[in-house]
Amino acid sequence: MTSNRSMTAAAIRQWSRRCFLTAAGGIAVAAAAWQPVQAQDAEWDKVIGAAKKEGTVVLYTALVGQPSTKKIAEAFTEEYGIAVEVLEARASEIRERVRVEQAAGRFAADVMFTSEGQTRLYDAEDKSIDPLPVTPNSRKIKPQFKLQVPMASVMTIPYGIMVNTGLVKPADEPKSWKDLVDPKWQGKILADDPRAIGAGYLWFFSTYDRIGEDYLKKVAGQKLVFTRDQRESQRRTARGEYSIYMPVILTDMSDLKGLPVKFIIPEEGVGYVLYGNVLLKKAPHPNAAKLYLDFLQGPTAQKIYASLGYGPVIDGVTEGLPADIKAISEAKLYGTSDSRRQNEMLAKAKEIFK
Amino acid sequence: MTIIHNRSLDDIAETGPTLGGNAVTRAFSGGSIGRLIGMLALIAILGFLTIYPLAMLLYGSLHSTPPGLAGEFNLNGYRAIMTTQNFLVLINTVGISLAKTVPSLTIAVFLAWIIARTDTPFRGTLEVLITLPFFIPPILTAMAWGMLGNPQVGVINLVWRSISGSPDPLVNVYSYGGVVWHMCQYSIPFLFLFTVDAFRAMDPSLEESSRMCGASRWTTFRKITLLLMLPVLTSSFMLSFIRGIESFESPLFFGLPAGIKVITTDIYESINHRATPDYQYATSLSFAIMGLMFLLVIWQWALLRGKSFQTVTGKGFRPNVMELGPWRWVTFGFCVLFFIITVVLPVGQLLLGSFFRFFGFYTYEMLTLEHYRAVFSNSEFWRAVRNTMMLGLLGATATMALGAVVAYVSVRTRWRGRSLIDGMAWLPWMMPGMVLGVGFLWAFAMLPGPIPIYGTVWALLLAYLALGTPVAVRVMTGAYHQLSYDLEECSRVHGASWFQTMWRIMVALAWPAFAVGWVLTFFGIMRELSASILLYSVGSETLAVVLLKLWANGNAEQVSVIGLMMMLLVILFRWVQLRFIKARISKL
Repeated sequence: MTSNRSMTAAAIRQWSRRCFLTAAGGIAVAAAAWQPVQAQDAEWDKVIGAAKKEGTVVLYTALVGQPSTKKIAEAFTEEYGIAVEVLEARASEIRERVRVEQAAGRFAADVMFTSEGQTRLYDAEDKSIDPLPVTPNSRKIKPQFKLQVPMASVMTIPYGIMVNTGLVKPADEPKSWKDLVDPKWQGKILADDPRAIGAGYLWFFSTYDRIGEDYLKKVAGQKLVFTRDQRESQRRTARGEYSIYMPVILTDMSDLKGLPVKFIIPEEGVGYVLYGNVLLKKAPHPNAAKLYLDFLQGPTAQKIYASLGYGPVIDGVTEGLPADIKAISEAKLYGTSDSRRQNEMLAKAKEIFK
Repeated sequence: MTIIHNRSLDDIAETGPTLGGNAVTRAFSGGSIGRLIGMLALIAILGFLTIYPLAMLLYGSLHSTPPGLAGEFNLNGYRAIMTTQNFLVLINTVGISLAKTVPSLTIAVFLAWIIARTDTPFRGTLEVLITLPFFIPPILTAMAWGMLGNPQVGVINLVWRSISGSPDPLVNVYSYGGVVWHMCQYSIPFLFLFTVDAFRAMDPSLEESSRMCGASRWTTFRKITLLLMLPVLTSSFMLSFIRGIESFESPLFFGLPAGIKVITTDIYESINHRATPDYQYATSLSFAIMGLMFLLVIWQWALLRGKSFQTVTGKGFRPNVMELGPWRWVTFGFCVLFFIITVVLPVGQLLLGSFFRFFGFYTYEMLTLEHYRAVFSNSEFWRAVRNTMMLGLLGATATMALGAVVAYVSVRTRWRGRSLIDGMAWLPWMMPGMVLGVGFLWAFAMLPGPIPIYGTVWALLLAYLALGTPVAVRVMTGAYHQLSYDLEECSRVHGASWFQTMWRIMVALAWPAFAVGWVLTFFGIMRELSASILLYSVGSETLAVVLLKLWANGNAEQVSVIGLMMMLLVILFRWVQLRFIKARISKL
């Protein structure tokens, strides 16, 4: 009995020792892992503190007139007390402004909101942007949006097909990009011009790569009518000038509620443009800029974009959205353009769509 | 050829008597050193406003990269534009511009004659109303005409089909005709404004002499009336023709669907639709066009040289108003028809559409005042209104003052260098707006650091000054050509100082032209986008920038609300100009 007790006591002591050693080892490992995180957090806290002292961030955006810009700026100001000054202009204009400002030594802007393609030009040609900082939220974005170019991905703009419901019966609606070659649509499609940079070119590029040149030649045989004004073209189609308008910015669906139009997500998926932020060289408010970059990849900004139908770059922000918005926001991404092949593909588009 | 035997510049000695007074007076009143300083100051101002940005663009056309980037000087840009394709596009562009300028000028002159020289009823009201389309942003009238004249469901074609039973449309605005028509919407009122006061300043005794010598009404109109207006007519023809070459919105909106290409769309594509913006190509093409346009200016100089066009002399006269009898109702009908087609139809669409959720969907449940609420509660809009009004008032006044001085020196003196400043004042008009905007950006941003122009409201103001100068100078040149030298001399002989003479003779008698030029310049500033978008800074947004943002976001109805408000402002300005200022200045 005694020996049993002593055996039991020895076993308990032995177990306790193991338990202690295991626990101690665990804590040591956890502490070792926790220390850099703690250090990173402390480092980031310093960025936040410095950003608040800077008080302002100057944002240049190539996405003109989007209400989301103001919403997000207000949310950022509310969270950090830092004002966001926004200057908007079209892509080529804003790019030339940044290039000339930097060449003249006038460093006025901190952050530029632009597309992946433009970022490549900023980086390779103009050398006007800095490498991206690693921020807490930048680690959480989906792998497909971690880019080689120094752009902090923020959202995707999805492009699909729009039909006039007065002219197109539900049974006849095109379901996919391939359906556009159906002879019944000949002369009835209004299209954004694929021979110039824009939505039409994006559609041309992605379907050329994914479906092939023959498909595009068949579409050219449909006698498309080209325009370069996205919003006015939507109205023209709604008024009954054409049965189909493509490619349409799917997020405009909410603005056109009440008109006889339907927005269709093609079966293959949506063409898309990836937008994000870049950090401009010698930014006058570098910490506020870093904080803004991080904020745009965080849940608050991502939820705002998702609620408008844009594709978020992090998971878990589309829950609870209305079904139609959720469908657009989560639409499968089919293809985009590549600025490195721009001249080649524009020439190809001009050759096919004479 | 001297058309009338008033005293001309040739009769006036090159050097006047040396006068006393302060330096400013001396600078403008004839002292040779003072005159030299005055001329140099003018050349320096115009040089900074026009030559400097153009020099930056010239650098861009001769250098492989834009300013600020490493590269080399070469002629690749000029080589690249020498293609058969470009030549064909140029022919097409010139053809379109001629097709719009000739009928526009004919109609404008006819309208100006009706308003200024006939007893057509309500001509005072008509004068204001028929110019309204000029002041509406072109994108709005383009949209309105798209709704009216598209071949599928355009209102005009729906009415036509229901009346005639024809399956074919009556009009299709997406065509050459549509492009020309939309351009005419702007050039007719512009040319009308330019010519109407020249008709008013016409001494009827010249026409009466012609009639007494046995010439018919038509011969008198051709050989006296029109010839006397040669400076105004040639100036306005050239302004309109050159602007037609540079027109962008109409060909893009109505021409693109019909496959119509013009020079400006090519320039636009070279900047916006290549992997790297090709500024060398864009600027080379612009300079080539500018060279061709300058030939026109030289032609005008040759045409006007040595002739006198004075109609306003020391003798009192009242412009003769022709009594048309029953025909006055025909001219009235013509004006009303013009008003209905060019104003009521498109502006009616905009006005109607502004009260509905969407243009073209006019049902009861779509009725709303939301667009007005949205505009009035938009703080950015009000900030832009404040900025634009300030820039417009300052800019238009400064531009017209500069234009008046340049025109005075160019037309009414024999100072050496006057042709140079006249030529310099033409330059901004000959460069397409989208390229000139880049020129201002390069010029102002590349100024040495301590000169704080770029990024401030001054950059916008200086750009507007440069952009408005050609019109200001042309308007005032036309007016000064008509004033006799006797008037100035008479004033001086009676002891008036140079400034008193300027104010009482050159300003008071040329005020209608000054006022028209002021309104044109003011609204030019309100509409200007190409330079504004490249020069505005945070907080200094202009109305055109706000309109672009709203349009880009699909708020066409809100853009219309603003367009309509701009139109109301025009009516107000013109009313003040025609009633209030007229009464005050005629008392000077």
